[in-house]
Amino acid sequence: MSKRKRSAEDFAAEIKAHLELEADELKTEGVSPDEAQRKARQAFGNVTAAQGRFYMRGRWLALDKLGRDVRFGVRSLLLSPGFAATAIFTIALGIGANTAVFSVMNAVLLRSLPVSDPGRLVYLRTSDQPRGTGTIDTEQTFSYTVYDALRRRTHAMSPLMAYVPLSGSKVAVRVGAEPEEAEGDMVSGTFFSGLGVNLPLGRGFTEEDETQHAPLAVISYNYWTRRFGRDQGVLGKTLFVNAVPVTIVGVAAQGFEGVAGSGSTDFWIPLQDRRELNAYGNPTEDGKLYIANSTWWCLRMIGRLAPGASRTQALAELQPTFQTAAYVGLGGKPMAGEKAPVLSLADAKSFPGYERMYGQPLRMLMAMVGLVLLIALANVVMLLVARNASRQREFSVRQALGAGRGELLRQLLVESLILVTVGGALAWGFAEMATRLLGRWAEIESSLAPDRTVLLFTLGVLGFAALLFSLAPLRVALAGGAQLALKTSAATSNADAGKSRTGKIVVALQMALCVVLLVGAGLLIRTLRNLENTPLGMNVDGLVVFGVNPNISSLAQGREFYRNLTDKLRALPGVESVTVMEERLGSGWSDNGNMEVDGRLPGVANGLSDTVRSNVAGPGFFTTLGVPVLAGRDFADSDVATSPHAGIINEEFAKRFLPNGNPLGHTIGTNDGRYTMTIVGVAKDHKYRSIDEAPIPMAWYEYAQIPMVGPMTVELRVHGAPLAILPAARKAVQQLDPNLPLIRPMTQRAQFNTTISHQILFARLAGFFGLLAVILVATGLYGTLAYRVNMRTAEIGVRMAVGARRGQVVWMILKDSLVLTVSGLAIGIPLAMLVGRALASSLYGVGPIDAVSYLLAVVGLAVVALVASAVPAGRAASIDPMRALRTE
Amino acid sequence: MATQENNDERIALLQGTLDLLILKTLVLGSLHGQGVARVIQRQSEDVFLVDHGSLYVALQRLEDKEWISAEWGVSENNRKARFYTLTPKGREQLAEKTGEWRRLTRAMGLILDSGHGMQGEGA
Repeated sequence: MSKRKRSAEDFAAEIKAHLELEADELKTEGVSPDEAQRKARQAFGNVTAAQGRFYMRGRWLALDKLGRDVRFGVRSLLLSPGFAATAIFTIALGIGANTAVFSVMNAVLLRSLPVSDPGRLVYLRTSDQPRGTGTIDTEQTFSYTVYDALRRRTHAMSPLMAYVPLSGSKVAVRVGAEPEEAEGDMVSGTFFSGLGVNLPLGRGFTEEDETQHAPLAVISYNYWTRRFGRDQGVLGKTLFVNAVPVTIVGVAAQGFEGVAGSGSTDFWIPLQDRRELNAYGNPTEDGKLYIANSTWWCLRMIGRLAPGASRTQALAELQPTFQTAAYVGLGGKPMAGEKAPVLSLADAKSFPGYERMYGQPLRMLMAMVGLVLLIALANVVMLLVARNASRQREFSVRQALGAGRGELLRQLLVESLILVTVGGALAWGFAEMATRLLGRWAEIESSLAPDRTVLLFTLGVLGFAALLFSLAPLRVALAGGAQLALKTSAATSNADAGKSRTGKIVVALQMALCVVLLVGAGLLIRTLRNLENTPLGMNVDGLVVFGVNPNISSLAQGREFYRNLTDKLRALPGVESVTVMEERLGSGWSDNGNMEVDGRLPGVANGLSDTVRSNVAGPGFFTTLGVPVLAGRDFADSDVATSPHAGIINEEFAKRFLPNGNPLGHTIGTNDGRYTMTIVGVAKDHKYRSIDEAPIPMAWYEYAQIPMVGPMTVELRVHGAPLAILPAARKAVQQLDPNLPLIRPMTQRAQFNTTISHQILFARLAGFFGLLAVILVATGLYGTLAYRVNMRTAEIGVRMAVGARRGQVVWMILKDSLVLTVSGLAIGIPLAMLVGRALASSLYGVGPIDAVSYLLAVVGLAVVALVASAVPAGRAASIDPMRALRTE
Repeated sequence: MATQENNDERIALLQGTLDLLILKTLVLGSLHGQGVARVIQRQSEDVFLVDHGSLYVALQRLEDKEWISAEWGVSENNRKARFYTLTPKGREQLAEKTGEWRRLTRAMGLILDSGHGMQGEGA
């Protein structure tokens, strides 16, 4: 309204005027002036009450109306509890699933690092590393030399921080008497201050701590809770990391678990300079630690842009320094024909590893639950339409009695608001549970707790649902109009609604979406089956694997340790054979590089890669794994430091680099020519890093012969339940060193399954959502058909009265659902093909157009349609014509 | 209302009917609130009792709905008063509500006047 609001003073003035007028009038009627005033006031009643009512009129009226609407809404919903429960449950499922997936996506992909001003933080990236370097990640890791040079450019980064894990998995720690394992990182002294992480307890590190390599530790809030029960007295306690004592000086803010992506860091120590605490727990290379080794690119870096510096300016400042520092120890400049690596900066707003690992599956899941939500909402809308159509006479009567369309709309809004509110509350609880489950399945250790963004998202969806639910049925409600109240016949007043085409279109579209979900689920489940049934090329049953990270002081002592350990384990009852290896099979890690064959780097025909994956293995390696050795022999105890260097290759290596003749006896070695060995065996191709990898050339060194020894993985082949051997194995290890825990002990099968854990999760969820969609579609179809049969009771009665047989009636109803199913399939299959193409990169062993998946989806939908139509069809057939007509 | 004696034959107005009465009163020209009250009371032969407090709240409600408009003016006996006028929208509403009211009373009449009265069941 454009009109100005009237003031309370104006109203008071009017009342005063009224009282005077009234008194005047009474006086003319002969009442005494005093009496007249008294009477006028009396006739008015309570003046202040009237003023109060004036003041409150807008607000009070609205509140009162709302109260009445809510009471009315609740009453009318309680009158049809079946409807209300179905609608609420559908809303809760649809929205709950969305909230759960969104909250995981939010935590993993969208949420910022829990640090101050994350917008100014950047990860450092390189296009590549110089030739002749060893790396952890070809784009993300740098040498200490590079870090040391770049951090001095304080006009670019203030500060620049480096961090590196103490181990590829977990590291041995000890708090009390028992050895344990935890995830630990070495970090710059500026790490906590530079990121702006709060420390609720104690302090972070200083630059001095870094330069002095101070034996201090900050633990994560999570670790503090898990291991120390949030003991305030944790500060000053000693943590033995690989037997090196460090003092706990701080606890990091809740939710801060490091900046490295997957997993969660339990503790941080300043960058160290001692053998026991080398980066990634690696053994020293030519006696050099990561700090001195400019050709080992193992540090990750994150920086805060200096105040006033833009990203471009910072990069321009760093680039020349980087390109010089990159070649320290490599002759100072790129080799002929080599391009110098280029530094770049990447957004550090979220965790980098997460995007790669979970980005696509999560987006796909989000799309899937989005479809489920659409189906669910459509279901509720149809329920509402059906309900409101049967209430048309109620609406018409109310309109006839003077209720405006606005009032009817408000009533519908309030009813749907009640449904949405209750459904939403349920959805939130459901989502909390589902999120926790999702986190556990996906092994995401960072906090997934829903935050404000999730709440807003959910409220947004709920709001949309509420609006949709109120607007959709209004059309039907108003279409009736007031005159409908005059019609009394069930047949005439409901026939229009019964023929409503919208409902049919909605069901057909739901079926189309259902086909898409079913095909998607089918493809993913078949992918999972293929992965699970992929031959690993070895006999994993009976294999158990664990890591050890002993304190190694010399090459000889290290070799001695593993020989002793092997002997001790072999002696355990139930152990069939024992071997050791450097990179754990099925962990996703591998050592990649190129190797010389017969003294030179081999040329490879037809553009194949010359990359070789290598591993270091102990005696009986292939026998223990159950990998057939096709030619030559396995490693043996007789392969020792003083005997000729023995190497073993796989079929693919032989095929690619030694295609002619017998590979046995050829010499292979590192690409710098410093270590060579003679091929003594050719093993059959088998899986190394993961289940879904293709064969790649591989070579194995013997651990007792190479000039390096570090942490290793032990593999046991046992009789009986594999994990039952662990207590005995632990005892054997601790006889050698009481500080050593077994790191990540598990069966080899479980270890390989971790490489497909995302596919497992993805397929399970897809299957679950596919099933959910099927159930929703079934209820939707059933509801629509049942409703139509109900509306047509009279018509069916007439038909039967004039001679229609029951079979014909049943066919009439079934024909309806058949038409819907066929149209649903006609729309759904092309859609599913599009989705299949989008999924292609997540599939293994099935094409996007997989006949079986499509067939299953079609059959599934047909069954759903049949089941959902059976009851209404049966009911239609059992209609008694006489009774149906008598209700007229 | 509290001051009326027990034998009073006047009826408190049904909710909603007051609006209709106000609109009707204003058909002949603008009036101030006190005038509206007087006219309703007189024309109903003193059957309707108009609570003056409620009247003003009702007037305000109608004004908010833009069925009537108001303006300060001077009464015949030279007192300042707020005069109410029917708007075209109010005129429409009056016609509509009058129609509804007629139908309602006719229906009520039909039922009340019909030969067979309501019989209690059972008893």
